[in-house]
Amino acid sequence: MIDIKGARKSFVGKNGDFKAVDNVTLSITGKEIFGIIGESGAGKSTLMRFINALEMPDAGQVIVDGIDVGTLNKNGLRKHQKDIGMIFQHFNLLNNKTVEENIKLPLELHKYKNPLSVDEVIKFVGLEDKKENYPAELSGGEKQRVGIARALVTRPMILLCDEPTSALDENTTDEIVGVLRKAQNEFDMTVVIVTHELNVIKQLCNRAAILERGRLIDTIDVNHSVTDRSDQSYYERVLEVLKDA
Amino acid sequence: MPEAIQIYIERVIEYTPRLVESLYETGIMMVFAMVAAILLGLPLGTLLYLASKGKSLENKLLYQIANIFVNIVRSFPFLLLVVVMQPLIRYFYGRATGDPVAASFPMMLIAIALYARFVEQSLHDVPKGVLETARSMGVTTPQLVWKFLYVEARSSLIIGFTTAFVSFISYSTIMGVVGGGGIGDFAIRYGYQRYETDIMYSAIAVIIVFVIIAQWLGLRLAARLDKR
Ligand SMILES: Nc1ncnc2c1ncn2[C@@H]1O[C@H](COP(=O)(O)OP(=O)(O)O)[C@@H](O)[C@H]1O
Ligand SMILES: [Mg+2]
Repeated sequence: MIDIKGARKSFVGKNGDFKAVDNVTLSITGKEIFGIIGESGAGKSTLMRFINALEMPDAGQVIVDGIDVGTLNKNGLRKHQKDIGMIFQHFNLLNNKTVEENIKLPLELHKYKNPLSVDEVIKFVGLEDKKENYPAELSGGEKQRVGIARALVTRPMILLCDEPTSALDENTTDEIVGVLRKAQNEFDMTVVIVTHELNVIKQLCNRAAILERGRLIDTIDVNHSVTDRSDQSYYERVLEVLKDA
Repeated sequence: MPEAIQIYIERVIEYTPRLVESLYETGIMMVFAMVAAILLGLPLGTLLYLASKGKSLENKLLYQIANIFVNIVRSFPFLLLVVVMQPLIRYFYGRATGDPVAASFPMMLIAIALYARFVEQSLHDVPKGVLETARSMGVTTPQLVWKFLYVEARSSLIIGFTTAFVSFISYSTIMGVVGGGGIGDFAIRYGYQRYETDIMYSAIAVIIVFVIIAQWLGLRLAARLDKR
């Protein structure tokens, strides 16, 4: 589904060239939830952004659904990006658009054969009563739900999540993890999650790649924890986490 | 004292038709300037933004040409710009002096350059995350501009327009030198040259009131559209 082969990327830094991604080869299977973990600055985001061509590798290949992304022209890139949804750490909503308008936005940019309806996704993420609100009126968790709805409305083949819960508190993190899991179940996408939060990986992913200073150290099978903590109360979670420790 | 007030009121009434006429002339110049700012200044400012480093139409040459144009027009002493443009206006419009339409040409030029700079600045203030999102959705440049940049920058575009508008009023007051008329010309002609200071101050008061109203309307509209 997604094959990254010998990808490298350097940025010009203060002390000369800096290798953000250094010769990474990995393969992500269709319909899996794949994690990319590592410390801040390890190159996780850069590696993920190869997939939807927000960054282009200096060397190596990125092959998505049989297409070598490096060979695409401008138009081809747009078509490629059209079917990949993305959610962000800081949500990146348009503050001057309502929840509903934000979610509708991708559908105004391209023609989609089989999109979801805006009402459907709003219901899916549980924001029926916030349709007319502006992002400034929402909590962090609600903003990320809008971000997820906006990504899902096009029925993407791949969903990229860059630190989707890193701006959220623990409680809300579990909620968002629940929404992402439900989304993957229902819409049958390949999901790639970048995060430094091991808990999120543990709850969601089948496999995870570990990056360190741009290098792929290991790819592991995750011992998937099945408890869906999004249904627990805060008190139950406190008990579980603190008593375990 | 009441007598002085009565005399003043009589004089104001006497001058009112001429005042109204000069306001009309100012209005013509302002309308031309505003239309030029929107139809040409907005696209030029957008071009300056898009052609700058790291943006979707990055192009050094294009940026430099637009940038130099804006800098020259903005740093040109306005009175001299008016004079220098005379032959050009005569060529395009048939006459260069004596009416507010001819006087509108330099007004339009300064309006374009001034507003383009405001627009460029407003667009640079749009958060990086918004651009990143647009890119991840595979937008075309026109979609980026209309569906993202202008949406998120709209209140700052309006505040910039308000500030530009206030400058246009100021620029319009010197168009009397080429017979363009207007409220500034009125103040100079009757007040300054004929020592009718009370009339001059009245005209200045009218200008100030206009500026304050424009300012207030612009900021109110911007605040209403700002949902950030
Ligand atoms: N556009 C860029 N220009 C310069 N340096 C960058 C750019 N993007 C990322 N970097 C650098 O590359 C390294 C890896 O970045 P990133 O992929 O964002 O790491 P992570 O997501 O793991 O925190 C960091 O040191 C970062 O400063
Ligand atoms: Mg990152």
